[in-house]
Amino acid sequence: MPNCTFIDPLVTPYVDGELPAADRDLVAEHVRVCAPCHSRVAAEQAVRTLIHARKTAFTATCAPESLRAKCRGVARLKPSRDVDVNDVARRRPAGAGADPRVSGATAVTWRARLAPFALAASLVLVVGGAFVYQITDKSARVMAAELTADHVKCFAMNRVLDTHEGATAVESSMISGFGWQMHLPDEPARAGLELVGARPCLYGEGKIAHIMYRHQGRPVSLYMLPNASRSRELVEVLGHQAAIWCVGNRTFVLISREPKREVEQMASFVQASLR
Amino acid sequence: MPSREGLDAVSASFEVEALASLDSLYRTALRLTRVPADAEDLVQETYLKAFRAADQFEPGTNLRAWLFTILHNTARNRVRDRARDSVVIDSEAVERAAEVAAFPGATSSPAPETPESLLLRDTLAPELQAAINALPDAFRQAVWLRDVEEFSYAEIARMLDIPVGTVMSRISRGRHLLYEQLHHLRPVNA
Repeated sequence: MPNCTFIDPLVTPYVDGELPAADRDLVAEHVRVCAPCHSRVAAEQAVRTLIHARKTAFTATCAPESLRAKCRGVARLKPSRDVDVNDVARRRPAGAGADPRVSGATAVTWRARLAPFALAASLVLVVGGAFVYQITDKSARVMAAELTADHVKCFAMNRVLDTHEGATAVESSMISGFGWQMHLPDEPARAGLELVGARPCLYGEGKIAHIMYRHQGRPVSLYMLPNASRSRELVEVLGHQAAIWCVGNRTFVLISREPKREVEQMASFVQASLR
Repeated sequence: MPSREGLDAVSASFEVEALASLDSLYRTALRLTRVPADAEDLVQETYLKAFRAADQFEPGTNLRAWLFTILHNTARNRVRDRARDSVVIDSEAVERAAEVAAFPGATSSPAPETPESLLLRDTLAPELQAAINALPDAFRQAVWLRDVEEFSYAEIARMLDIPVGTVMSRISRGRHLLYEQLHHLRPVNA
């Protein structure tokens, strides 16, 4: 007759019906005569049965349509076509089976081209992560460097994912993610800006809003750091310009590789028209 | 070299089959991150990696389990990047809890005559959802992957990067924590 210690590791696979017949009989025999082990099995069995019975409530949640569309977009990048990551933004139709360039060799070529990019993106992520968590309020330059790393990483991701969001979607994600009731500039084109989308990014131990634009096709990031206060300044870091300003208890940072004067103009436009 | 038609067919079916897991990946990502925007980001990154590494997938094996493994690896890396220390503390605490807590067995388990299944059958889905959400991460993941997503112990072990024995002890501990929590709810709600 096996003791409780022997039975212990067999209880869960017994409840799950995963034990071979001989072990199953051993557990069943023990449980018949051991009240504590009987209770354990009964409790575990009851919870398992309950979850199975209520499973439809869990599986009722579906992925949002916007996510489905984004993932389909990612699927279009799968390595079965001769896709150049730089061409993805043009959304070339897949043309199934009709593209004479498609072959096993081109699939390899595609991956080979993407590999260094993926590595670079990963490095930025790792370095960004390492920075972001060690530093909080040390200096505007350090903060600008961290955010610039994030800016580069997010646009690299965006180039691959090729996602675009409208102003309404961005505004609603700012409300849900940050409780920030905001209104994006109505006519960004006046400042040569085109909205790309938004992401929740990381800074310190919290989360910051990241709104992405393109200025005449080139990446521009606007970050909003909640509960942070900084003096107004323009910092040059990692080949980028970072314009920093503060409204109430929110700090804003606009980052771009554009010339200093352009960055100042964009920052003034956003500050004046962001509500 | 496979024919062009063959290559396309495999890729198309891979894409369709992979995207068929979107809902369950998203639900699981929500359990991991608890924030919809983060869950979406996690799922998107999972698909990006999956399609990029499609050639590493072994045809004939479980594609859904493979995607879940990528999802959990990605989530783990993110958490590690965010707060390395808290991850270490969390997993140590989990293992300790799993080992030391053992099972209440004779002392705190309900009496054998308690009709557990009848009692728990009265538990409503929202109560159960709240109880699952309140579980410590490691137990929640193990119970969720086993009882909701119905993966095998070995598949879960690969996803969570832990031994199969640990998978079983976490499932067991998670179920018992749920039982205790829901069992104690009954008199209050009755």
